[in-house]
Amino acid sequence: MKEQWRLLETGYGSAFTNMAMDRAVLVANSEGKVLPTVRFYGWEPSAISIGYFQSLAEEIDLDVCKKLGVDYVRRITGGGAVYHEKELTYSIVISESHRAIPKNIMESYGKICGAVMKGLENLGIKSTYVPINDIITNGKKISGNAQTRKAKTVLQHGTVLTDVDVEKMFSLLKVPNEKIKDKLIADVKERVTSIKHVLGKEVLFEEIAHAMKIGFEQEFNVELVKGALTEEEKELTKKFEKECFSATNWNHRR
Amino acid sequence: MNKESPLMKMQYRSVYKVPNGKLLKIRLKYDEKSNLIDEINITGDFFAYPEEAIESMENKLKDTLLEKEILLKKIGSIVREENIQFIGVDVESLTKGILMCKK
Repeated sequence: MKEQWRLLETGYGSAFTNMAMDRAVLVANSEGKVLPTVRFYGWEPSAISIGYFQSLAEEIDLDVCKKLGVDYVRRITGGGAVYHEKELTYSIVISESHRAIPKNIMESYGKICGAVMKGLENLGIKSTYVPINDIITNGKKISGNAQTRKAKTVLQHGTVLTDVDVEKMFSLLKVPNEKIKDKLIADVKERVTSIKHVLGKEVLFEEIAHAMKIGFEQEFNVELVKGALTEEEKELTKKFEKECFSATNWNHRR
Repeated sequence: MNKESPLMKMQYRSVYKVPNGKLLKIRLKYDEKSNLIDEINITGDFFAYPEEAIESMENKLKDTLLEKEILLKKIGSIVREENIQFIGVDVESLTKGILMCKK
C-alpha cells in the first residue's frame, strides 16, 4: 500500500491567512502531529508577497497597493517579490528526514519542483526546472518556488501562473528607474508565461489543482488523502495571522 | 544631511546582481574617519538558511573595518559560527556588495 499524505484544499484566502496556514502546518508537522501535507490555495484579495530578506518599502509601492486593494505580506521564505492574482499556489510540509526529501537543499528544490512539473505535464504542458527555484516552459517562467527549513522540517511553497497581468504587477512593484519601466515590462512579458497563454484557453482552478495533486502523487509515489486542518492548526493559523503576518513589525521589519 | 555630524551618518546603498545568483541590495552607515561599519542591512531576493542568521550577521558586522580581506574573513567566520547556507549569494559577493556602498 502506498504511503498516505494529507491533502489540503483550502480555496482562496487572504495573504495573511495563507502565509499563517503554511506556518501552522509547518509547526504541527515538526511536532509530529500531522502527516506530510500538500496544500493548494489561491489569493483573495490579490496580494504581493515579498521574500524574507527583501525591504518592503524598496520593493513595493504601498500607496498603489492601498489604492487598488492589493494586500502585501512578508514570507518566512527567501526569494523575490511575487504578485499573486491569477495563479494556483501549492505548499508542501514534510520532515527533513523523510526518505522522499533530499538532505541537500538545492536537490530538494529540484525534487519538489519535479512534482509541479509532473502536474503541468498532466495539463499537457512540458516544462524544465531551472535551478535555483524556477520552472520554465518554452523558455519562459511559469512557476516560482521558495523553501525554508525550520525545526528539521521543510516548507516549500510556489506558484503556478494561470494568467498574468504584467502591467498591473509593475504598477505595484517599485522599479529602480521609471525611464526604463516600459522596457522592463516588455522584458518581463518576454520572460513570463502562464497556463492560459501556453494552452490558449482558461483552465479552472480545480482542474489545475487536480493535475497538481496527481503530479505530487507521481513524483513522491504516495497517495494524497483529502483532509482538513486540525483544531490546533486552526488556532495556530489565527495566532500567526494576528501576531506575525498582518503585523506591521513583521512586514516592515526590513 | 550633514556628513560631518556624528549623529547623522549618511546611509549608503549598493545594488549588486551576483553573477549566476540573486540581486543583493545593501544599505550601510559607517564612520568615515575610522572606516568602521556602524549599521548594515543586507536585503535582496536570495536565500539563506537559517533565515534568522542574517540578522545576527548584521549585528556581528558592526564595527568591522571596511576592507576587503577583513570583510572576507569576518563574513566567512560568521557563516561558520552561524552555520549559514547561502543560495544566490556567497561570502565574496556580500563583501563586494558592502564595499560597493563606499563612495
